[in-house]
Amino acid sequence: MTGRWRPRGLRSRLVVAFVLVTVSGAGAAAWSSAGSASAALVTSGEQRLAETVTGQIAAVAPGLTYPPDQDAVERLRVAVGPDTVVTYRDLASADGPDRTTAELRAAVRTGQRLVTQRITADGTAWLLVGTPVMITAVDGTRTPSGIEVYTARDLTSVEQQIDGMARAAALTAGLALPLAVLLALLAAASVLRPVRDLRDTARRLAAGDMAARSQPQGVDELADLTVTVNEMAESVQASMAAMQRMQVDARRFVADVSHELRTPLSTLTAVVEVLGMSADGMQADARESAELAIVETQRLVRLVEDLMEVSRFDAGTAALRIEDVDVAVAVRDCLRARRWLDQVDVDTPAALRARLDRRRLDVVVANLVGNALRHGAPPVRVAVQAVGGQVSIEVTDSGPGLPDHVLPHVFDRFYKADAARTRTPGSGLGLAIAQENAKLHGGGITATNRSGGGARFVVRLPAGERG
Amino acid sequence: MKRAWLAVVLLLVGCGVRPSGVVDGGDPPTGVAPGVTLYFVNARGELEPQLRETSRLGSISEALSLLLTGPGTSSLHSEIADTPAPRVTVVTSSQVIRLVLPLTVQEVTPLGIDQIVCTALGVHVQSGGARTMKVQARFTQPAAESDVERTCPLITTGG
Repeated sequence: MTGRWRPRGLRSRLVVAFVLVTVSGAGAAAWSSAGSASAALVTSGEQRLAETVTGQIAAVAPGLTYPPDQDAVERLRVAVGPDTVVTYRDLASADGPDRTTAELRAAVRTGQRLVTQRITADGTAWLLVGTPVMITAVDGTRTPSGIEVYTARDLTSVEQQIDGMARAAALTAGLALPLAVLLALLAAASVLRPVRDLRDTARRLAAGDMAARSQPQGVDELADLTVTVNEMAESVQASMAAMQRMQVDARRFVADVSHELRTPLSTLTAVVEVLGMSADGMQADARESAELAIVETQRLVRLVEDLMEVSRFDAGTAALRIEDVDVAVAVRDCLRARRWLDQVDVDTPAALRARLDRRRLDVVVANLVGNALRHGAPPVRVAVQAVGGQVSIEVTDSGPGLPDHVLPHVFDRFYKADAARTRTPGSGLGLAIAQENAKLHGGGITATNRSGGGARFVVRLPAGERG
Repeated sequence: MKRAWLAVVLLLVGCGVRPSGVVDGGDPPTGVAPGVTLYFVNARGELEPQLRETSRLGSISEALSLLLTGPGTSSLHSEIADTPAPRVTVVTSSQVIRLVLPLTVQEVTPLGIDQIVCTALGVHVQSGGARTMKVQARFTQPAAESDVERTCPLITTGG
């Protein structure tokens, strides 16, 4: 207990607060009652002692000679008891130490009344009683006789009674302690149970269980809170359901549109091919229009194919056809098929076998290299290597690299790095499709900038169990 | 935390008897006197107090014995007949002082009864007693006067 200890939990804070309040309340009540009782005890004790002294003096006074001689003074002193001093002018009779204080003596002389004073001497509490003895005339007038009596009475018994009461008060406050702890624990339990329920519900909601609810108990603030949390969960669930529905609708729309476009497009492609074959015999401007129509139609076909591919990923219908693939050969085949081998430096091991979907690997490599050739600057380099249990395909170019604000969005659909250059031959879906393909394999693509300039895309695909 | 508990315990235990200033404790005792006041009758037939210097107040019984033995050499006289045994028994209760006199009612005049009542009440007042006290003088033979509760005409309760 260094004084730095602070209760942390709600339960211990409640218990400590409850105990402090209860014990201090019980202590204050016991202390104040013991205080007033002891004051009453002291007052009544003092009164009784003063009355006893008065009675003792009054009993012997009529028998005393007046003016008194030494014998009369002694008799009066003996009648009053031990620790008494009786004086009359020059005469004095004393027994035991004279404890009389100067102020008590002065009060007796000036006031001509019986006075008392509490003092502590030799570790004991004493009540000093000082009084003059009066002469009463037949008509009732009183005059001082000159006899003064000072006596000290032991207050030990009163003190012991008071100490006993104080101990009883302390004991009462102490007995309140276990009761307070018990009550505090019960109160804490009743408060904490709904809090714990609410916490469990919040955890289930966070874990995705949108149907999780707490049962509100009672009509207190915690029940209000529970109702509010339930309402919140309700509205979150509703809006999430609406969003999911809208997303599904949007995807289905894209899939439907691209599907519907495919049939007229294939007709259009056929027509354009016929047009292309007869272009040689055209006028120069007509031939230019025809060639433009051919290029744009091919672009449209590619866009629709990419859209359908994306729709398949979204719908979750894209399937992997795993087979044994020599990655080095597959990469070279891909580049050769697109006549890029003379523009690209290829660095592959002699043979690197992995279990992959050959078509999707082809799409990934083609999209990354095509992107590098279109947006980057030569030399474009493709490096294939095995890293741990993974196949790593690195595509780098020597262009200006990717601006910092583009880097986080480079795999977004239809994201264009340069808003002014919208008419690029790409569909705007290439990198997104490459990323989806890599993810379908359980891998991924990361985009960074090389320290010497130029963008670097690294594909990592699990090699799968070999052969 | 321990110090707080110690303070609480000290507070509880420390409220015992503590020294105080000088406090008034009531009326002082009384009862000393240079002599006793006896009541006799003067030449005009009125009660008159006479201080007998006995150098102490003494009891009611003693005062009445002195009264019954007479005024001695003085201009005053007593209206109580002489009695061979001037002994009076006194019983004091909270309301009344009962005197058992060695006299019959015929041996005392009404003024003589006042002498007895005033002397007894005077000693009672000088001893610190109340002036509202009643006195009952009982005679040796049954008489109606024995049951009367009397006061002294010279010792009024008012002032």
